[in-house]
Amino acid sequence: MKHDSFFKQFSLSVIWFWLLLFALLPFGLVTIASFLSRNDAHLITFPFTLINYLQLNNSIYIKIFKESFYIAGICTAICLLLGYPFAYLIARMQSGFKNLLILLIIIPFWTSSLIRCYSMITILKPKGVINSILLWLGVIDKPLPLLFTDTSVMIGLVYNLLPFMILPLLTNIERLDDRLIDAARDLGANRLTTFRKIILPLTLPGILSGCILVFLPAMTIFYIPDLLGGSKSILLGNLIQNQFLIAENWPLGSAISVVFTLLLAILLLIYWRSTRSNQSRDFL
Amino acid sequence: MRRLPAVSYLTTIYLFFYIPIIVLIVYSFNKAQYSLVWHGFSMRWYQELFSDMDLWVAVGHSFVLGIFAATIAMCIGGLAAVCLYRYSFFGQKVLYGLVFILILSPDIVMGISLLILFSLLKISLGFWSLLLAHITFCIPFVVVTVYSRIVSFDQYIFEAAKDLGAKDTVIFTRIILPLLWPALLAGWLLSFTLSLDDVIISYFVAGPDFEILPLKIYSMVRLGVKPEINALCSITFLLTLVVIVLSQLIGRKKP
Amino acid sequence: MKRLLAIFTLSCLFFSSCLHAADDNVLNLYTWSGVIPDFIIQQFEKETGIKVNFSTYDSNETMYAKIKATPEAGYDVIEPSSYYIDRMRRQGMLEKIDKSRLSHFKNEDPEFLNQSYDPHNHFSVPFIWGVTGIFLGTNDLAKNSITRWANLWEKKYENRLMLLDDSREVFAIALLALGYSINDSNPEHIKQAYLKLKELSPNIKVFKSDGVITILIDEDIDVGMAWNGDLYKAKKENSKLDFIYPKEGFVIWVDSFAIPVNAPHRDNAYTFLNFMLRADIAKAVSLSNDYPTPNLAAKKLLPKEIRDNPIVYPAHAILRRGQFQTDISDEALDLYERYWEKLKMEG
Repeated sequence: MKHDSFFKQFSLSVIWFWLLLFALLPFGLVTIASFLSRNDAHLITFPFTLINYLQLNNSIYIKIFKESFYIAGICTAICLLLGYPFAYLIARMQSGFKNLLILLIIIPFWTSSLIRCYSMITILKPKGVINSILLWLGVIDKPLPLLFTDTSVMIGLVYNLLPFMILPLLTNIERLDDRLIDAARDLGANRLTTFRKIILPLTLPGILSGCILVFLPAMTIFYIPDLLGGSKSILLGNLIQNQFLIAENWPLGSAISVVFTLLLAILLLIYWRSTRSNQSRDFL
Repeated sequence: MRRLPAVSYLTTIYLFFYIPIIVLIVYSFNKAQYSLVWHGFSMRWYQELFSDMDLWVAVGHSFVLGIFAATIAMCIGGLAAVCLYRYSFFGQKVLYGLVFILILSPDIVMGISLLILFSLLKISLGFWSLLLAHITFCIPFVVVTVYSRIVSFDQYIFEAAKDLGAKDTVIFTRIILPLLWPALLAGWLLSFTLSLDDVIISYFVAGPDFEILPLKIYSMVRLGVKPEINALCSITFLLTLVVIVLSQLIGRKKP
Repeated sequence: MKRLLAIFTLSCLFFSSCLHAADDNVLNLYTWSGVIPDFIIQQFEKETGIKVNFSTYDSNETMYAKIKATPEAGYDVIEPSSYYIDRMRRQGMLEKIDKSRLSHFKNEDPEFLNQSYDPHNHFSVPFIWGVTGIFLGTNDLAKNSITRWANLWEKKYENRLMLLDDSREVFAIALLALGYSINDSNPEHIKQAYLKLKELSPNIKVFKSDGVITILIDEDIDVGMAWNGDLYKAKKENSKLDFIYPKEGFVIWVDSFAIPVNAPHRDNAYTFLNFMLRADIAKAVSLSNDYPTPNLAAKKLLPKEIRDNPIVYPAHAILRRGQFQTDISDEALDLYERYWEKLKMEG
């Protein structure tokens, strides 16, 4: 086919136009800013310098990165464990209420996440719902310190990101062909084997999509650890925020952002290369 | 009896989603202004809410912005996912990379860089700058969601259609779109959710004359968010719930 | 060819949408949330016929970043804190205010004028002020047990303190405990302050700058740092709270109105500023937002219980111990940030 179809040309024009203008250009600006310096009058100014990147080799920043990675990882794992069975059950439903059930997942999330965080605070605080009930029942005689802990932060993160795991999984699992499962059973496989050998590989694209949509925002979110965790440690989101807003060191903030993007891109690339042997054409 | 574990599991997760919402609604009737402990029943916040026009204007703005942004993002993102899957073209890897950059960028970096970009392009801050920014950060979510579904398609359908002489546009509208629309809808829902709630990016690209709800709420955080906002969220939540449940009950397919 | 056409059409649509809105008789107001009540805005609109577009922000830093990135952001009046007034005037971001156009400026309390962050108030009109001190909840039995910042280091406060989530405010308490200025740029002093804060770490339960009033009322935390205005508000719903002005000194913060350079509606800005300086307006605002007002004429109109309330208006002898925050050099700011990060990650 020597000349491209109209559809292909039109679509590609739209996509390239948008992404070049609003994704590449801003990222380019940020990358350039990361090589610049600053002075009292201007937030970013010449000369070009590598000093921002050199400053990154700092045990505190590495610690912050590791901790953010760890928390985002655990959050993703929990979302996957909770979300997969949920998505599986709903996707395979035959009921006419299926669409309604799917919409019911997402409607709570159209209220401000900040207000829902405050609801969580209301539930978890020393004089909050949980403690009041437990005290009234006589199960405890002093309020439990549920708020301002790592657990409350994790609950908040999972709560806010779970739909981002469920929805991609749902749309993927829906395409699962029953006949493959039946065939496996006919050949004598028990449920575990069927799951391991048939269902899991086929739903892998959905799993990976869900993980991406949860892990990446989890690494840069900052207001949930602040509100529910008491702001006691600095995560990547806070760090970049501080550089841009408080320290007013835009070049350094840009450098951190660029390094973070590159690191994650490399990780994803390594993962992609290592799973290339599989036939599955997932998004990576 | 066999379905009990499944039903209880689903119910637990739904409860997990909805209990904070129920608490939110209950506390919209709380007598206190700053305290988050129950002090008694009061309709005061609903009365204040109905006389606060500014808030309602902001809600309307947010909904309009969300609907436009989600729809356009769904179109662009959907096209992108289809093209990335079906065609190989010059710069394909770059396109993948750009979608990733959009997801990976921390909000504040995207907010400030878009602000600088708009300022260079002389786009005034207001509805249009917000719309462009919202579409931009929603696109990758649509792409990832739609792609995870399109991957499961049977390649031979496309080849068969092409052999029969169908043009790409026809293949798209007659074959791909019908099979893909649940994923497109999921992408739309995710985008709408993101747009309604976005604070940081919106903060930087918003203008003085188009106020949106998340910014209003976020700036109240310093003092303490009044239960008036609870009242607002309760009303919008219940309205949306009623509308969606009704539309589903009326239009549902028989199993 | 078709591809070029598509791109061209899209570009046209795109750039045609960049038309600027028509300029009406408006005022683009940009302040902290919760300080200007709606009824005051409505009164202003009624008296002057100027429509107010009222946007709010949650921190000086985000306001500064936005205006720095786009000087033509279109705001007419902003409300920075003292050290941001300092920074912004030095960087030429603020318009010099012609005080001859503000007939009510004489209402301001001279105590709050002509400070080092803005000599002669060329660029700012003080609007509200406050003090950062120590708050005490109900659990502490001996009310007089805390009189200095240094008391917070005692072992009995282990894992009980709430500190503000602001690096300069937190470092200020260590600097004051060591006898230095809150605006100290000396790296050696900053390091000492950091080490002192490290000793305080086991006592720190949370860092919080938002929702403080809720915490005070609900007694989630019973001792720590707070602003006197917040405590006064909280005390209305929980009378057992107490506020202490530490002997070593404390931060006095002042939020002032300023006009950014390139403000599109400068005349309306002056009208607004003069309106807010009126004694009756300033009094109504102060009664509504519960913060102390630097407007002396307004203060005289306030009820006696508020004027004589030491939490809101400390006596002159006490106020003298306080220090105003000024801007510090970028290198010093960097140093504070580094130590702040270290404190949070290792403390």
